[in-house]
Amino acid sequence: MSAIGSIPELDPVIHAQARLRVMVALSALATGDQITFPRLQQLLEMSAGNLSTHLRKLEDADYVQITKAHQRRTPITYVALTHSGRRALEDYTAVLRRLLTPANDRPGG
Amino acid sequence: MAGNETGARFDEDRPLSAGESLALIEQQQNEAQRRLGVNPALFYGPWGAAYLLGFGSIFLTYPTLFPLRLPGAVAAVITGVLFAAATTVSVVTGVRAGRGLRGPSQAAGAMYGWSWTLGFCALTAVNIGVTRLGLPDDAVTLLWSGSSLLLVGVLYLAAGAMWQDRFQYGLGVWMLVSAAFSVFAEVPGNFAVVSLAGGGGLLLAAGYFALRHPRPAASA
Repeated sequence: MSAIGSIPELDPVIHAQARLRVMVALSALATGDQITFPRLQQLLEMSAGNLSTHLRKLEDADYVQITKAHQRRTPITYVALTHSGRRALEDYTAVLRRLLTPANDRPGG
Repeated sequence: MAGNETGARFDEDRPLSAGESLALIEQQQNEAQRRLGVNPALFYGPWGAAYLLGFGSIFLTYPTLFPLRLPGAVAAVITGVLFAAATTVSVVTGVRAGRGLRGPSQAAGAMYGWSWTLGFCALTAVNIGVTRLGLPDDAVTLLWSGSSLLLVGVLYLAAGAMWQDRFQYGLGVWMLVSAAFSVFAEVPGNFAVVSLAGGGGLLLAAGYFALRHPRPAASA
């Protein structure tokens, strides 16, 4: 493994442990479904502050959509992957697989 | 692990290699599926036990070749308690699975859940309406056990179609066949069919799903 450190071909927004976990967890939801902040936090076992920070970065990249709603006067934050977020995760995973395939095994490479 | 220690303040911030990244994706996918998805074994297990023991105990209130004979009250209590427990587990499991989620698949899941309540309410009304006209006792018994199992089978077919799960669809077919057989087995043979084929089938399905569902810290 020579690849410790930044790998230039990989999306830097996703290529960080915490944000990668957030993206993968959100990608487990069916398209169009949303998850509340607390349930996502519980699913990932992250602190609220930590999760908020990463969600903000993902939202800035337009990978995640954050919706504020109200239920019986209690504000609820819903989180979901955007189409470009789902696409970005697929591309990221494809790049990883290509990086892990030895050059002479690559089709057409 | 990391040859380069600079900037590694927390383990979480340490850059990942491609291999580590891919492993993390797989692990997190497994974890999310396990925690967000409902294991059907949680539905099938309690219902399988309720059918097997509940209807089994009712079967044993009749004079059969089986040496054991149970008083009707005992069978009624066993069946009532197990059915109440299975209903509670199903409702709690269903509600907990949807906690903190909304969207099309949640709406579909809720509609499917209500199908059970609506279906059994209508079935009760139809059967009571028919029974009022005057039916022999055995016919009333067969009407209830056969129609209930038929409805259960159809709802499993719907689950199989909805979640694209051929195993659940197959379980529905098995329940339909059991429903038909239970009526032709006559009283008290119908209870043996519902208990062994119905309850036994559900317990086998529960075992299958218990093994298939992702486990915590699964080795990839």
